Amino acid sequence: MKFTKKPLDSEIFTGSMADITFLLIIFFMVTMAFSSNRGIDFALPEDTTTAAEISQEESVDVLVLPGPVDGPPVIQVDGRQMPINELLPYVAEKLKQNPSKPVILRTDPGAVYGNMLAVFDELRQAPDRIGMKIDNISIPTQREIENIWTMLGIGQ
Amino acid sequence: MILARGRSLKTEARVFTGSMADIIFLLIIFFVITYKVEVDKTHMDLPKTTVRVTIPESEKPAWISIAPRREAYLIRVSTGEEMSLPIGTDEELVTFASTEVARNPEKDFIIKADREVPYERFDAVLDALKQSKVKNIYLLSEQKTVEQ
Repeated sequence: MKFTKKPLDSEIFTGSMADITFLLIIFFMVTMAFSSNRGIDFALPEDTTTAAEISQEESVDVLVLPGPVDGPPVIQVDGRQMPINELLPYVAEKLKQNPSKPVILRTDPGAVYGNMLAVFDELRQAPDRIGMKIDNISIPTQREIENIWTMLGIGQ
Repeated sequence: MILARGRSLKTEARVFTGSMADIIFLLIIFFVITYKVEVDKTHMDLPKTTVRVTIPESEKPAWISIAPRREAYLIRVSTGEEMSLPIGTDEELVTFASTEVARNPEKDFIIKADREVPYERFDAVLDALKQSKVKNIYLLSEQKTVEQ
């Protein structure tokens, strides 16, 4: 009797591969992050006591007041209210007298974060707009401001 | 060949799917390469700025997010490796930031805050970071266009 050997079909089943790959694509698309990964950098002083030594007279004092969220920020510069587009020319004049003059950016607690960032953005544009870099932009916190006032013996 | 009169040839309508597998594989490779998990998924209206720098991703920066009003300005924190978690008090924020700075003194921090957040909330976060001796922070923003 003669036995004939049946050839074996060796095949990898790939029928479900399309489903798996579709599932993978859906997973990646759903969990993918297309968020913003850019912003304004801000270096904090290593020693906080240095910032406290800056007195208001030898700096440009910018105060952001409560204002409309969508409109231009309302600011007071060295005690005088001015439109945001006049801020950099004013700072340029001050920097011509003293290039290392610091700019203190204070914000009223009732103002919104977006307005403060708009003013900070304006100050950071100084190299392009007025051709000078503001070396020292300080954003003191409310606690630091209160500490300075306490040191100077001034009540708020 | 003789065609029978009145009988038309059958045409097969078929969509060619042979290259679908290649396209899908290319898409998967694209997603695998560019995949990045968003550690904080809080939806918010970020402030728009002209000056924007790319945040370095080499050393995973820590995230602090301040949610908009509809979420009661809730603060969430993340080490940059795990999903963000809400925190209750400013002291917890100081503890979190101090721990991260103790692990890596050069650690960058990203603040993601809605543009309508009261400055008071941001001030508390900034104060906590200053107390924790953080060196560099990035204030997340969107691109400001000419019209804006």
